[in-house]
Amino acid sequence: MKKIAVLSGKGGTGKTTLATNLFITMGKGVLIDADVEEPNSHLFLKPNIQDTKVVKKKYPNVDQEKCNLCGACGDFCRYNAILPAKNKVLVFKELCHDCGGCQLVCQQNAITYKERAIGKISTGQLSNGLTMHYGDLTVGEVSGVPIIEQLHRMVEKEDWVWIDSPPGTSCTTVAALEGVDFALIVAEPTPFGLSDMKMVVELLEERNIDMAVVVNKAGLGDQELHDFCATKRIDVLAEIPFQKDYAAHYASGELLSVQFPEYKKIMEQILDRLLKKVGN
Amino acid sequence: MIAVCAKSQGLDALVEERFGRAQYFVLFNEDNSEVAFIDNAAKHESGGAGGMAVRLLHDAQVDVVLVPELGPKAMDAIKAFEIKVYRYVDKKTVKETIEDYQNGLLKRLDDSTATSKSGLRRV
Repeated sequence: MKKIAVLSGKGGTGKTTLATNLFITMGKGVLIDADVEEPNSHLFLKPNIQDTKVVKKKYPNVDQEKCNLCGACGDFCRYNAILPAKNKVLVFKELCHDCGGCQLVCQQNAITYKERAIGKISTGQLSNGLTMHYGDLTVGEVSGVPIIEQLHRMVEKEDWVWIDSPPGTSCTTVAALEGVDFALIVAEPTPFGLSDMKMVVELLEERNIDMAVVVNKAGLGDQELHDFCATKRIDVLAEIPFQKDYAAHYASGELLSVQFPEYKKIMEQILDRLLKKVGN
Repeated sequence: MIAVCAKSQGLDALVEERFGRAQYFVLFNEDNSEVAFIDNAAKHESGGAGGMAVRLLHDAQVDVVLVPELGPKAMDAIKAFEIKVYRYVDKKTVKETIEDYQNGLLKRLDDSTATSKSGLRRV
């Protein structure tokens, strides 16, 4: 099995555009949209949704009879989700990150866990028969990590997995990188694009994940991104030019590789170089 | 012990516009008129600042807190710690606000002043 993560650091550089177009051009494998706060791969791939699963997360339930109000759970919790008060323990379930720590530190064995829904995963088939899954975190929830973990479990038996990752380098991005063989960084050659990309590179280095860069919106900005990649010895697999008709076509919810032959050729070039790096 | 949400550390400090992420809590002991303050460690929390701030006040033996507003989680915590809460509206100094409280000019809060995740929207 090969897992390829498409990520960027900065939002809006073209993660979804690249991931969906590579997926369609390759014509095999499965795609998961792990950008669960704002999933949008399905807008372009237009799957026929056949199944929707509710994703649940645990939160502590305190047996007030057993509790001696020692305060250890509240001291332990990094997210203020459990608050030992005067006569009882308050639980703010939406703040809980489901780490299990409060139960471990409770000497009275007063803590068990309950479950609640925090989002859902939709699965559907594209018109060409390929399958995609996308997670959708309920608005107001603090963390989409459990949804991303479940997405990974759903594709355990697949041969090839494309991951449309969340932006940034926070917990959700780290979760999206679980078990990933190779990372494709989509970067725009602007100071902001480079600054955020550096954080992604640092994260990937720390996780020991091989990487390459695809420059999107090439022609904008400056030379610094290329200088950085040269210094870091990170291969630039392709440069996708900035073109207004690409932006317009994207904005109408259509796939660029279907409309623009030269764009499809770039996708094929990326796939060719990627397969040489990761094996088939 | 009375606590007031404050922008700095003494009786002359201006009151804060927020509770959980207030810079400081100025403490006033009604029995001996002693003044102290807490640097509010909850202000840097990514979430749940209100509940954590209430716990800090409880640890400082506060039984009355004067606030500009209070979120629903902080209100739950205030009730669970049996701390009385009163709301100020004017942006005065801590001293003037305590005087308003002592003169019965502040309204007791029994419910939060905002709904969950309402950001800067006020009631």
